[in-house]
Amino acid sequence: MKKISLFLLILLLVLTVGCGNQVTEEEETSLLDQNWEQIKKQAEGSKVNFYMWGGNRTINHWVDTYVASQLKEKYNVELNRVPMGPDDYLNKLLGEKQVGKTDGSIDLLWINGENFKTARENDLLWGPFVEKLPNYEKYLDTDADKNTTDFGEPTKGYEAPYSRAQFVFVYDQAKVENVPQNYEELIAWIKEHPGKFTYPAPPDFTGSAFVRHVIYRETGGYEQYYDMTKEEVREAIQPAMEKLAELEPYLWRKGETYPATIAQMDNMFTDGEVWMSMGYDPSKATSKIKKGNYPDTARTFVLEKGTISNTNFLAIPFNATHKAAALVAANFLESFEAQYSKYNPDNWGALPVFSYDKLNQEQKSQLDELDLGKATLSQETLDEHSVPELPADIVPIIEEEWKEVVGQ
Amino acid sequence: MEDRSKILRLTLIYSLFFVLVFPLLVLALWAFTGSWPWPGLLPQSWTLEGWKYFLNPVNGALEALQTSFLIGLGVTILALAVSIPAGKALGVYDFPGKEFIKIFVLAPIIVPPLAVTLGIHINFIKFGLSDSIPGVILVHLIPTIPYSIRILTNVFEAVGNKMEAQAQVLGASMWQRFIHVTLPLIYPGILSAGIMVFIVSFSQYFLTFLIGGGQVVTFPMVLFPLVNSGDRMLAAVYSLVFIGAALFFTIIMERLFKSGEERSDHFYL
Repeated sequence: MKKISLFLLILLLVLTVGCGNQVTEEEETSLLDQNWEQIKKQAEGSKVNFYMWGGNRTINHWVDTYVASQLKEKYNVELNRVPMGPDDYLNKLLGEKQVGKTDGSIDLLWINGENFKTARENDLLWGPFVEKLPNYEKYLDTDADKNTTDFGEPTKGYEAPYSRAQFVFVYDQAKVENVPQNYEELIAWIKEHPGKFTYPAPPDFTGSAFVRHVIYRETGGYEQYYDMTKEEVREAIQPAMEKLAELEPYLWRKGETYPATIAQMDNMFTDGEVWMSMGYDPSKATSKIKKGNYPDTARTFVLEKGTISNTNFLAIPFNATHKAAALVAANFLESFEAQYSKYNPDNWGALPVFSYDKLNQEQKSQLDELDLGKATLSQETLDEHSVPELPADIVPIIEEEWKEVVGQ
Repeated sequence: MEDRSKILRLTLIYSLFFVLVFPLLVLALWAFTGSWPWPGLLPQSWTLEGWKYFLNPVNGALEALQTSFLIGLGVTILALAVSIPAGKALGVYDFPGKEFIKIFVLAPIIVPPLAVTLGIHINFIKFGLSDSIPGVILVHLIPTIPYSIRILTNVFEAVGNKMEAQAQVLGASMWQRFIHVTLPLIYPGILSAGIMVFIVSFSQYFLTFLIGGGQVVTFPMVLFPLVNSGDRMLAAVYSLVFIGAALFFTIIMERLFKSGEERSDHFYL
């Protein structure tokens, strides 16, 4: 063993000779002083490493084809998608921060919520850059909370809005006759159809969001949670936890066990084992029908008093090597054409971040004609029934309490 | 009486075969369909979409497969280069603390790699090894070397060094002894150690992810998020390719090492 470690050490030393080209501080700050033309020029010919969750082949394909080719054509910027989710890239950045690595390999991140908060607390992001993007000003409502806060946390220009998501319930038209219109009807439906409903166990992202809906409706809305101590939160959410515990006998397998992930639950829905599913993506059902994963009769619904929605963002790490190119890519992703292409269910189907009022006539009519697919609700319906997220740091508390009261 | 035991044996063999092969059959079916709802015995609709996605070069699956092969080969060569002398030392020579070292060699697979790798990661960043193929190859040595040393130690224990001593008496130099005597004797050991190392390296996910930092994209890295998100068709396609690739390498190795003259194992049978 000693021999091996010695061997490894020598190999290490040999391999490391001659490494270490560094970007100077000055270069970085001056980038923000440059005008857009200069930034574009600087970005030309470089490569953007875009780190994003890689579990959806529709999204992957859209980024690899449309986004990559447009960036190449318009700005001569090469896009390299890397399938790495937030947990892993945050780990990587934390490590790099610790040893002071300045020539990082990540240029652009897809991020929001708790992960953004963690990244900001550890000073892992570069910025503020969002004001630099011409399309941010041009297409987005720069005063709207949904563009300037992320799970209640002010973005302070360290994130550029990329996409919007809203929670929807999925049901099978062929099996569910009276679609619940509101929370009370949903609970009644669950009780009338024992064993046909369940939700993924928190901390699954979607399951956790479902629990938040119960909290909103059982404890009187979300506003109160914005300034509460952790102990108060624990106390305040108890009625919702008790409600969930009380529901258990009516759930799939009498609530003795829950699907661990939304993926499992979707497969159960496809197999007809449960009659409802859910998703934090309003176009989920449409795209799953297209892929052949959902039955043709799958449809979606929202609750009368709203389902939770969030914005997800793009951010640039503190040690990104190609910051100019990352800015160019982020700007392109905020453009009308990119957002419109993203909104098309053939490509992805995610809600756009632009504000309708800022579009010109042609763009408006283009948007009005877009066929969203049979299982997606209109943006109007979604907007009318949307409520914001809770502050990011409350989410883990809810998950703990759920485990304590319901999960056992 | 004999018939009975024969029937029993055959039943046992076939049921074992069934248990091993049946899941693969299910996998093969899933590779061609997006949905297979209960109570259909077979899927109702078939599609080649999963394979199209896999073969489409923009999705990077083939490229990742290539990278995986390259890394696997590098790891195999390096691991064998370390394990042959180590195996010989542990298998043939006697020295104080040998038994302890034999167990100690297994440490990397006993201690959870997660615990060790986070520390290694920091150092690799310092040395500029993170985000690079050499770095990934180096870190793959950790989970692979214990197996190859173990296998080669056993082989050397069986072979002993008597044949080598004979050659030495006849005046062969150290290299001559190694090339013409030792190497042919331990071929089967090298073969199984090599295959083992390759397959372990080929299936690494976490280590590659952490050290490669997303810049080194291997096949499991494209496979894993898709399996995780419940895309059963694509997961099936990628799993079949994964199994196929590992099998392919095994067959190539066997052909390479066993071709021509029959290398007999009679020295330790």
